[in-house]
Amino acid sequence: MTQQSPETWLNDHGDLLYRYALLRVRSETTAEDLVQETLLAGFLSWDKFTEKSSVSTWLVGILKHKIVDHFRKHRHEVKQVQADELADDILAYQFDSEGHWQVDLVEWDTPDTQMDQKQFSKVFKLCISRLPQRMADLLFLRAIENVPMAECCDLLGFESDNQLWVTLSRTRVKLRQCLNTHWFEQG
Amino acid sequence: MRHCKQIVDLVSQGMESKLPWSIRMEVKMHLLMCKNCYRYAKQLKFMQSELKTIENNIADTALTETAKKRIQQSLKLAIHETSND
Ligand SMILES: [Zn+2]
Repeated sequence: MTQQSPETWLNDHGDLLYRYALLRVRSETTAEDLVQETLLAGFLSWDKFTEKSSVSTWLVGILKHKIVDHFRKHRHEVKQVQADELADDILAYQFDSEGHWQVDLVEWDTPDTQMDQKQFSKVFKLCISRLPQRMADLLFLRAIENVPMAECCDLLGFESDNQLWVTLSRTRVKLRQCLNTHWFEQG
Repeated sequence: MRHCKQIVDLVSQGMESKLPWSIRMEVKMHLLMCKNCYRYAKQLKFMQSELKTIENNIADTALTETAKKRIQQSLKLAIHETSND
């Protein structure tokens, strides 16, 4: 096995870890701290690394745990942001009183060149940043990191599984709308 | 019969958990008959896969040189401390 040092990791994988963290915690200083903690934890548990995965995958795995820990520590801050989730609730849903779509959905031409992909990801990032905080947290923790239901409810302050499912669905409706408006309808 | 608004919620939930068989069948049938919900389900799948790899495609976000230096110094210090134990 080649000699590994956190300093090399910082140069090789630091930016990727930072982007990963920043998308989820939305604070530059917190994301920087998480990168630092991850690299140190990687260094201290290097004997557990197996060459079955790449170093970057392994480090991202450690970072995931650090991010969930971060949400555990800041659980109490969740309650305050729930108001803006509800405020534009109606906007999020584009259905008539009978529950049918008000406007027909258009087919999406998904990005097919590298440049297209880069531009699209920029818009996607923008749309994520426009989500109310808890909705974005939910999307990442539940839909991407697969944090178990009970823990998700606990961390994000949902009173029931059902409340979580409904909010996750609204989050996706919102995100879809934003992408539709800012990317797919732009031609 | 459930309407589109309910199907939309079930499609989302079905991406993270296994719905009961009868409900899965109902969603399937609805998607066969309803163009809007069919498109919606397809778009959610696309969003999900993009979300999983987005950190690889936003290269314009990176650690600043100052942050890198600061992290480097903290790491040095922490590693020095642990090796002295
Ligand atoms: Zn429908």
